[in-house]
This record gives sequence, structure tokens and C-alpha cells, in this order.
Amino acid sequence: MKITEQRQGAVTVLKPEGPLVEADVPAFKQRLIQAVGANLGRFVVDMSAVPFVDSPALEALVDVTEELAKSGQALRLCAANKTVREVLELTDLSSMFDHFEDTNAAVRSFL
Amino acid sequence: MINRYRLLIRGESIVASSGIALAAILLAVMAASAAWAMHTQRDAAQAGREAQIRTAAVLLVQSVEPLLSANELSATRRLIADVGRFYGLTQCRVVLADGQVLAAAEPLQINVQNLPARWDRRRTADDSSAPGPGILAVSYPINISGHGSAALEITANLTQPLWRYWEAQAGVCATGAAALLALLIVYRRIRAKLRAIGAIREALQAIESGTSVSAELCVSPALGAEASPWNQLLAEVERLRKQSVGERARETLGRRGQPKGDLSAACDAMSQGLILVDDKSNITYANGAAAAFLQAKRDDMAGKALTEFLKVENLLQAIREISNGSSRRRAVVDVERTDEGNAGVLRFSVRPVRREDSASGMIVIEDITQQRVAEEARHAFVAQATHELRTPLTNIRLYVETAIDEGENDPAMRANCLNVINGETRRLERIVGEMLSVAEIEAGSFKMRQDDVRLETIFEELKNDYGPQAAEKQIKLIFNLPPKLPNVKGDRDKMLLAMHNLIGNALKYTPQAGQVTVNVEVSGKQLSVEVRDTGIGISAEDAEKIFERFYRAKDPRVAKITGTGLGLTLAREVARLHGGDITVESQVNEGSRFTLVLPVVAEAA
Repeated sequence: MKITEQRQGAVTVLKPEGPLVEADVPAFKQRLIQAVGANLGRFVVDMSAVPFVDSPALEALVDVTEELAKSGQALRLCAANKTVREVLELTDLSSMFDHFEDTNAAVRSFL
Repeated sequence: MINRYRLLIRGESIVASSGIALAAILLAVMAASAAWAMHTQRDAAQAGREAQIRTAAVLLVQSVEPLLSANELSATRRLIADVGRFYGLTQCRVVLADGQVLAAAEPLQINVQNLPARWDRRRTADDSSAPGPGILAVSYPINISGHGSAALEITANLTQPLWRYWEAQAGVCATGAAALLALLIVYRRIRAKLRAIGAIREALQAIESGTSVSAELCVSPALGAEASPWNQLLAEVERLRKQSVGERARETLGRRGQPKGDLSAACDAMSQGLILVDDKSNITYANGAAAAFLQAKRDDMAGKALTEFLKVENLLQAIREISNGSSRRRAVVDVERTDEGNAGVLRFSVRPVRREDSASGMIVIEDITQQRVAEEARHAFVAQATHELRTPLTNIRLYVETAIDEGENDPAMRANCLNVINGETRRLERIVGEMLSVAEIEAGSFKMRQDDVRLETIFEELKNDYGPQAAEKQIKLIFNLPPKLPNVKGDRDKMLLAMHNLIGNALKYTPQAGQVTVNVEVSGKQLSVEVRDTGIGISAEDAEKIFERFYRAKDPRVAKITGTGLGLTLAREVARLHGGDITVESQVNEGSRFTLVLPVVAEAA
């Protein structure tokens, strides 16, 4: 899986490309944890190129959320497709994340 | 990876290979047995025919002898001919001892018409060449009483082509074919039934080899009845896993909140950092966010002096004054952090907390980096935009004045002035359009029409717009268009705007006597427009940022040229909204290459 990184203003936009499944989870999680520690945690995850996520990936997202929650922040996801949103709803996890329509909206949430 | 999120069609291979192998072996065995049967049958038939011909020859000799003795020549000849025809003999004749042919199945061979009275015994086996394989050649002596000796010579071909014996094998073949057909039908039935099981088997093998149990192992219900319970099973596993993740998440979130009081939990939920200090500037409380902002462990902070974590002198001074009660005024200090990878601007708001017995202070920490960036961008934008708007306005005013003052007497000059005014007005229009579009993007209301866009007219328009501008700057502007351009679906104006920006930029940042090449290619369902220039180039550092709004490269040469820093932002936004993208490759001082890729939906008309 490829994770591209872009800066929008002072915010890092991480965009994983491809399904978030078990094999890719460790690298993904590590990248996110690194982002939590850098730039005071100003980052968003652009999910627009993720067709689906599996359980280990959800666990990783929960772990990252826990990390962020220590400083009172929430993980900002944006542009997740219907499948991913459904999975989050079904697992009751959607309330743990801040979800935005697109990267612009997510970046603006830091204002 | 490719197939990962589709229902896999599995189970083809489980019976196919063995079935085909079985059928092939069966066919080979049948063919071999038929060939063998035909071979032995032919041998038996040859032996039978030989015996039959020999018997017939003996009988013929016995019949011919008395007939010839009685000089019944014609009856003899008829008999010989009948026998020859009946047995299908190659040759059947009566030869006198001197070699003359008295009677033969083939009448042309007869070379003596009447039975001679006497003849020599000259001829003794003159052509006794050995017969070939499968040829029977026999000779029986005949004694014609009163005349002399003769011989009955018979030659026959015993062999028959192998295929003559197929009839006996036809039954076997038919039975074999029927059996194969039955096998095929049974195979198809079994295959249909086994497909789901085969697919499930493959899925199980995948699990054994390390694939996690997930939805990607689902089997298409079209494969059979076994598929849907299997899928249910997978879904159940997936559901249980998700449930456990959810429970874990709730548990961990809950655990964090439980032992603390409501107030403490509320403080931890804040994204702002909160620190309470006593009158000696020692920390009495810090929330999680504060620990994160100060890059410290939260549990280490309570009871320690604030100076261990904060080194900014003017801030510490303010905190000291407020916490010991000497100042009642609220203080706000912005601290810019420049650490590698953790840069940002933190705003510390310090307030006194009044208590009767002792003084103390509260510090709220906010991350205002993004606000700062946005603010700077806005400032830059306003400055740039005013500049951008002023240039065409100034030009328009100047040319209007010229037209008024001198145009009355000089129609050529007036036309020229109007032309310039027209061009500048269009430029102004485009700038305002860009600004509006950016505002729309900001507000999330950037919408696209879906027209059939004729690329030919777009490029025609671009050529007309930029031709004179390039000529003025002595830049070679080359359009390499394919002979036939497809139509694309999208918003014509926005697409034009994107290309305007790319080509306009190329001309803008290419010094005199340079070259700008626009290569358009259509491959498959993709249109790529490559704009290559020999301009000032973009540094690697800037290349990442030029698509950010209001960003302008730090190159001092760029600063001299007017621009809003919006063009590329818009161009990329437009490309992405059309399902394409814009990429850039560049070398400082060598030139840049921007590639706009758009999907082609409509076929060429």
C-alpha cells in the first residue's frame, strides 16, 4: 500500500491508496503514530482511495485515536466511501472519529 | 491484490483436470483396441481368402481338364472368366506349355484362338518372379489328354485396406462415444455441484497459507448452494471480530474516563492544553493536551516547576507575575516552535485564578499554526490580488486616455487601444473568475457542468489567445495535436481555464526566445496534455507546494512576475474533479513539464 503525504497549510494530509487490510496495517499504523507525534498532531487521513477496511485496520485506527485522545484530539478522517462509513457505523466506531466530506473541510477544521 | 475485493470464481480446477485426463486415456485405449482388432481381423481374412482361392483353383483344374480334353474351349473360357470375376482375382488363365494363353479372365490376354493340336514344352517357368507380400500366385498343372500339358495360373491380391474392417469396430466406437458423452454429462453435473465446494476449498487453503478470514474469501452464490452458508460463516466471523474491536475501543475509552472525576475527564477531552500553577509557578495540574504540547509525560508534570518544561523567558515572566498575584491582567504570548518535524505556533493564554488564601494561575495552550498559515496566506492573497487587479486596470485606464486624447484623429491607434482594452478586460474577467472559483472551492460549492467538450475548439482558442503573446515575447509556441481529437465529458469553461493556466504559466515563466511545447496525446481512455517549457524551472521544495492555494515559489524571479498563486490550485482542482490530475517535473533553470491527464469518456464523434 502506498501512503502519499501532502501539506495543506500547516496540516499534513495522509492519503493511503488501496484497501486497508491486515498486511498493510503495521506500516499504516506506524505512519499515523508518527504523524501524531509530529507537527503537534496536525494531520488528517484522506480515505478517498481506500475501498474497504478490515478488522485489523479498524483496530489500528482505534489505537491511533487512543493516542490522539491523550491530548484531547480526535482522528480526522475525510472522504471515506460508503463501504468504509458503513463498517464504522456497524462497529459503533464512527463516533470516535471526526469525519469530513473532503480534505479541504478537514484542513479547515484546524482553524 | 487485483481480485481482492470481488467475489472470486473458484472451483473450476477441482474436477476439470482429472476429467479431461480420464477422457483422454479412455479415447486412447479405445483407439488402440480398435486398431489391434482390425489388424488381427485382417490377418484372419487374408488366410481365409487364400484357402478359398486355392480350393477354387483345384476345383477349376478338375473342371477345366475334361472340358479342354473334349475341346470345349468356349465353355472353358467362360468358366475361367466367371471364376476370375467371382473371386476378384488379379489374374486367372490357362497357359499352354509353350507360353500361349488359351483362356483368361481378361479376354485381351488370350493369344491363341483354337486349341492347337500339339505344342512344345518350351516354356518352363519363364516369369517365376516371387510374388510380393500379400500377393498369392499359384500355378496348377493341367493335362489335356490328346494334346499336351498346360497350367492354370492364378494371381490374387489378398490384402485389403485396413479401413475395410471398420464395420466391426463401428459398434465399439459408438459404445465408446456414448460412454464418453455420458461421462461428459456426468462431469458437467458434478462440476456444477462441486464448484462451490472447490471454491471453499481454495478459500480454506488461502486461510491455511496465511490470508486472514475476511470478506475477500467470499464465494459467489452463483457457484452453488454451499456458497451462501460459507459466506454467512465468513460474515459471522467478520461481525464477531468487529464487535470485539468495538468493545475493545469502548472499553479503553471507558477505562480512561472511569477513575477520574467528571471535571478531570472534561479537561482531558479538551484539545487545548490546560495547566494550573501555584504561586511558586509549580504545576498543580496539567491535562493531556498540555503534556502533548510541551512534549512531556503527563504523570511527570504534577508538582514540578514549570521552568522544567517551558524555556521561553518572557512567557515565564508573565506567568510568574500573574501566579504570584502581582499582576491581575491576562497575558497572551505566542511562541513559535521551530523544532525539526514539530514546528508550529502555540498560543499561551495566562490568567490569574483568584482564591482567598493564595494566588495561582491558569495557562491555556492552543495550537494556532494553521490559523497563522491561513492568515499569512490571506494577507499574501490580498496583496497579490490587488496587484493582479491593478495591473489590467491601469492598462485599461492608460489606453482609454490615449484613445480619448489621440484616437479621434488616428483610427488605427484607436483600434489598437480598443484591442488592448479588450485583452485586459478578458484578463480581468479571468482573474475575477479564478477568485470566485477559489471561493467556491473554499465553501465546498465548486460545481461542474457535464458538457460534451470539443477539444479541437479549445485548442484553437488557446492558439489564438497565446499566439500573439508568445510572438511578442519571441517564444516559440508549438502545439503537437493528434490528427483527431476525441470529445470529452466535463465542464468546458473550467477545462479551458485549467489549460489556460498551464500554458499561460509556461509563457509567463519562460524568458525571451525560449520555447513552449504543448503535446497532446490520446492513449486508450486517457487524454494527456503535456506543457513543456524552457523556463526558469521550479525547485524540488517548491514543486510540492505550488498546487497549494496562494502559494508562489520562493524564487526571486517569480516575485517579479505578477500572479495570484491560484492558477495551479484551480487547475489541479478542475483536473481532479474530472477524475484526472496534474503532475509536474522540473529542473531549476532547465524548464518545467506539467502534465494534465483527463479521462476520455465520450468516443470521438
